[in-house]
Amino acid sequence: MEFNRFIQQFEESLDGLETGSLTGTTAFKGLKEWDSLAILTLTDTIDLEYGVLLKKTEIESCDTVQSLFDLIQSKV
Amino acid sequence: MPANQFVDVSLTGSVTVVPPKIRSIEEDVDLYGGNIRQIERLKKTLGINERRFASNELTNLDLCTQAAQILLDQLNIDPSDLDGILYVTQTPDHSQPSNATLLHGRLKCGTDCAALDVGLGCSGFVYALWLAYSIISNGSSQRVLVLAGDTLSRLVHPKDRATASLFGDAGSATMVEKRMGAGVSWFRLGTDGRGSDSLIVPAGGARLPFSNETAEEYSDDDGNIRTKENLFMDGSEVFNFSIEVVPREIEALLDYADVSKDSVDYFVLHQANRYMVHNIGKRLKVDLGRFPVESFGAFGNVSSASIPGALSYELAGPLTGESGGKSSHQVVLSGFGVGLSWGNCLLTVSNLDCLEWRVYKS
Repeated sequence: MEFNRFIQQFEESLDGLETGSLTGTTAFKGLKEWDSLAILTLTDTIDLEYGVLLKKTEIESCDTVQSLFDLIQSKV
Repeated sequence: MPANQFVDVSLTGSVTVVPPKIRSIEEDVDLYGGNIRQIERLKKTLGINERRFASNELTNLDLCTQAAQILLDQLNIDPSDLDGILYVTQTPDHSQPSNATLLHGRLKCGTDCAALDVGLGCSGFVYALWLAYSIISNGSSQRVLVLAGDTLSRLVHPKDRATASLFGDAGSATMVEKRMGAGVSWFRLGTDGRGSDSLIVPAGGARLPFSNETAEEYSDDDGNIRTKENLFMDGSEVFNFSIEVVPREIEALLDYADVSKDSVDYFVLHQANRYMVHNIGKRLKVDLGRFPVESFGAFGNVSSASIPGALSYELAGPLTGESGGKSSHQVVLSGFGVGLSWGNCLLTVSNLDCLEWRVYKS
């Protein structure tokens, strides 16, 4: 898994988010673009790209983009 | 493992009836705090557009009765020739007697006819077909009428964004008949009751009867409002269940039938929403053109009527032979939802004498 590629996929999942606005330390749950549709899209992207199907509660247990990346990596 | 194959039984026609009242997602703008952009996003991502609503005096029994009358008329079958009536619904007119017996009375069928309800939602149409095929295969029954549908608009809270813009109302009637020489049909079904909490109407049954408490509105973490008498859906759990189970089960069905994905003309999935249908298609690695999904934007998610609804809304041309082409098609039908429950079948569909949808006329 490559971190920069993951950031890019994350940004594409959040409709309306500008490219380059996320970093590893971003607290994504506070973003105004973060809603149930964003969770759906991100769940789908992670499953298709990495074969890891995360529950909503698992995604929301992460505070930063980096911690979500680490969670996925631990399950790949 | 409930896996079956049948010969000499065929689906011979289907009619779906929707209520006249149309509601579009644009009319829900207040639900999304006046945010037009959010409406556009829902249209683009999920394919939400219009849905059909039954008025207060119209029940699913009314919709299915009209669908059945049109179907019997088109197929030139007398109600007394029916050997069985299977009615899939979770919104019956009464807790007893069943909708199937009420419909039997309305159609004036003969008394030598079995009639029962099947208490399932989005998976139910395939389950009822499986029963109909079994009943005809195992004895002297010639014709079984399958009704399927709900009026979920009565159960969703208008301020619950997880459900309000998604569901619509429809009733369908489908004929299954003994037909010597009909091709083979295969079925596989399954259940995971551990997921029962993710789609549920908590109150109104024996476990939690209606009371002042169950009628009280509450707000969830996302600000959605509902009561315990409303349909609750954990959208993200249901989405995960669907993309995990359905592609795998369709693959298993095709393995069982020893039929390749390329030989299947259409994959008619429960019309949960466009995103769901397309994502199951992507995981099956099949071109999305073989997955009808337009009826979702016209009717909404209409529970157990969504598969017959999709057949009549989008595939009437090819499946009746009206648009030319081949006279027989291989069609996968896939229902999945409340329970959690799923059923998949691969049918050989020869040109149907009747496949249409209509608006209810009082």
